[in-house]
Amino acid sequence: MTLLSVKNLRVTFDTEAGKVEAVRGVNFSLGRERLGIVGESGSGKTMTGRSILRLVRPPGRIEADEMTFDGIDLMNASERQMRALRGPRIAMVMQDPKYSLNPVMRVGRQLTEGLRLRDRIGAKEAHAKAVAALEAVQIRDPERVMQAWPHELSGGMGQRVMIAMMLIPNPDLLIADEPTSALDVTVQAEVLRILDTLVKERGMGLIFVSHDLRLVARFCDRVLVMYKGRVVEEVASGDLLAARHPYTRGLLNCLPRIGGPREPLPGLDRSGDWARA
Amino acid sequence: MALIEIDNLSVHFEVGERVVRAVQGVSLNVAARESYGLVGESGSGKSTILRAICGLAPISGGAIRIGGQPLKTPRGRGFARQVQMVFQDPYASLHPRHTIDRVLSEPLAIHGIGDTDRRVVQALRDVALDPAFRFRYPHQLSGGQRQRVAIARALMLEPEILLLDEPTSALDASVQAETLNLLNRLRAERGLTFVMVSHDLAVIDHMCDRVLVMQHGRAVEELARADLAAARMQTDYARTLFEASADRMLDQG
Repeated sequence: MTLLSVKNLRVTFDTEAGKVEAVRGVNFSLGRERLGIVGESGSGKTMTGRSILRLVRPPGRIEADEMTFDGIDLMNASERQMRALRGPRIAMVMQDPKYSLNPVMRVGRQLTEGLRLRDRIGAKEAHAKAVAALEAVQIRDPERVMQAWPHELSGGMGQRVMIAMMLIPNPDLLIADEPTSALDVTVQAEVLRILDTLVKERGMGLIFVSHDLRLVARFCDRVLVMYKGRVVEEVASGDLLAARHPYTRGLLNCLPRIGGPREPLPGLDRSGDWARA
Repeated sequence: MALIEIDNLSVHFEVGERVVRAVQGVSLNVAARESYGLVGESGSGKSTILRAICGLAPISGGAIRIGGQPLKTPRGRGFARQVQMVFQDPYASLHPRHTIDRVLSEPLAIHGIGDTDRRVVQALRDVALDPAFRFRYPHQLSGGQRQRVAIARALMLEPEILLLDEPTSALDASVQAETLNLLNRLRAERGLTFVMVSHDLAVIDHMCDRVLVMQHGRAVEELARADLAAARMQTDYARTLFEASADRMLDQG
């Protein structure tokens, strides 16, 4: 079943120096599965994720032949309809909890704010739901975390709080933009396991935006590789290491490996025709 | 004799009533021209060790000696000519309102070294940046270019020791490869000693001769490069860390 369908998505920024095309004709569809979008900075992967929620500020413009989520035309939805979608149906986890949590609001209040204002749930029930959400992301001492300020949390804790916050309304689609790049490997593995369980148990669709090819290959079902605003290759994760596109191969080859040779790492050769397109 | 000797180092921070023990009784030795790695999860104290060497974190117990000499507090000019640090985030570590020229010439001015023009241009060339970048501001540079500037700045005073705190974790894979190659080339050319912090075992393996695994402010296990690659670790924690990095092994791809 297709949850989200995107055809010929373009994001253009009109700047003084002329038009900058951040996303240039991206097509994909998503069911209740894990889709990875990888690419370097500036490849348009984050903008693709944000476009789905129409979270691109002017001077940026979103254009698409089609962008449908569960039968709703996202391109022509009113701002009011979009607000109803953001959060309850489509949620987004941003990269850095340091910048995405309100620094002057206790975690508990941030977690329950939506429940109280949007769903008009009483304080006690909202508190219980928030604690349950924190438990779902394996926070050991949810009552303490509810009382904490964002600066008192470590990176991993902050990121889990963000994920908990997004999961409270039980969305159909979660867009995670580099949700684990601020975390170290051990915590990263834990956060991914949590996301994985949630996708499986709740039947959520997941778009996982990352610059880390190996991580995406391990974690997602399908991967879009983006370069300069275009999808250069779409592969099943199992086949990523056998990817053919020179850009994908280049990205894989320039990573150091444990036990690898000490010679200089190969750089990314951008001289091919694909890089100029 | 080791160039850097750290004996039973402890770093404690007082936060209100609470005492945070960031580093507890860590000892290590780094030989001249060696490349030494520190790995562990965030909060394990690995960056704090670098900061303690530089005087950015208090030494609460134990001692650090460089070239056999105990460190003075404050560290002083001689220290700056011997030890320099490159920070994780090139977006945060360069002054946003100083041109690259000013960033690079400031250490020369402080230390009364002349010949500024030639040295600044040479420093840019050494890190493979076009001298045209000289009068730009950090926001006009990409992340990788900024990290090159940070490395150039660290090398202005021709130090023996470079302390690298996650120097490539904010960079794309291709830019990381270029930066690691640059660091290795500079180390070979100038006979530098590296102490490098990273949470990426593959980066550490590529760059370092020996590595110390840390957890909760304590040293867990020291591994030579061959032992790391062959998974010959003794402790459970080092093994956990290694297994979480399994996708960074050579035989994959």
